Amino acid sequence: MKRNALVFVALFVAILAMLASGKYLDRTRKHGPIALVGNVQGVPAPDFTLPSLDGRKVKLSDFRGKAVLLNFWATWCPPCKVEMPWFEDLQKQYAQDGLVVLGVAMDDTAPATIAKFASDLGVNYEVLLGTDKVSDDYGDVQYLPTTFYIGRDGTIVDKMTGLLDRKDIENAVRKTLGTTYKPANSPLNQADASIKEAVAAKVNSPKDSSR
Amino acid sequence: MRRSAAFIAMLLLLAGLVLAQGFGDKPPVEMAPVGSVQVKAGGSKNVSLDFRIGSEYHINSHTPKSPLLIPTVLKLSGPEQVTVADLKYPAGQDMSFPFSPDEKLSVYSGDFTVDALLKIAANVPAGTYPVSGTLRFQACDHSACYPPKNIPVQFQVTVVK
Repeated sequence: MKRNALVFVALFVAILAMLASGKYLDRTRKHGPIALVGNVQGVPAPDFTLPSLDGRKVKLSDFRGKAVLLNFWATWCPPCKVEMPWFEDLQKQYAQDGLVVLGVAMDDTAPATIAKFASDLGVNYEVLLGTDKVSDDYGDVQYLPTTFYIGRDGTIVDKMTGLLDRKDIENAVRKTLGTTYKPANSPLNQADASIKEAVAAKVNSPKDSSR
Repeated sequence: MRRSAAFIAMLLLLAGLVLAQGFGDKPPVEMAPVGSVQVKAGGSKNVSLDFRIGSEYHINSHTPKSPLLIPTVLKLSGPEQVTVADLKYPAGQDMSFPFSPDEKLSVYSGDFTVDALLKIAANVPAGTYPVSGTLRFQACDHSACYPPKNIPVQFQVTVVK
């Protein structure tokens, strides 16, 4: 009876091991094991250097200190093109607070076609040409759109897949900008600015002659 | 007792093996098996190839409304004795989706059939000839899309005199 139980436990462990190895092998591609699987919050965003549409090399780590919205998309993905004008608006709205939007086009299409597609949607943020390697590094990005929100310290704050509400996207942007985030044009910041100006004026003013 | 434990263990082992092979990652489109295809030498035959799309997906039709959308395309090739003379795709359904309610896309969903017209030259000896190829499609669900994918298409043609 005791021996049966032992055999049963051993088999169960073996099955679990097979399950784990099966999943691991399934997720392994020609570029090696996939780095990002499961909960990616707090994980350092894999660095990459990708060509932009105009041929420049763009490196993710060059944006350290900024909040980065990294959106994987494709011209053949209708839900992706719904989000892209929203990203453009958010880039304009939050750029002064430190938001950078990077689009990664996962197309086999010519760069000129991708550029025209983005331009037709009014996109002015940086669009990069994606590779299988970057897709794999970010957990085998198969489901588009997929967006990673990368904090100022280079770690992933959030990952969102599929088309979401604009409100959810904006909330993620604000979260990525920082928990103490205050919009640059908010009354609080304006108040801060007034105080700073008053202090500066006081500091720079001629000494009070009555002293 | 020992027998039932062994039986349960065997069931778990099988379940584990199935899952380990990525059972949950089945493609959005699957092809139904093709029955016996018999053609007389010198004759022709229409072969219906049936495909089933997973209930949560749709794929672009053969003639999507935008050149940027990836059409469903069947490519077949056989030995020189079997010629694929024509392929007939079904018309797409014009549908709108939550991600673009104002835009109609030409798609397939559910089951669809592509008809392949095969021609056999008169001098082809009797025998069985394999025909193979791929169906290329690009699938989306209600909120996202998957990269284009190819699934294998295979059937056999028996040439009779």
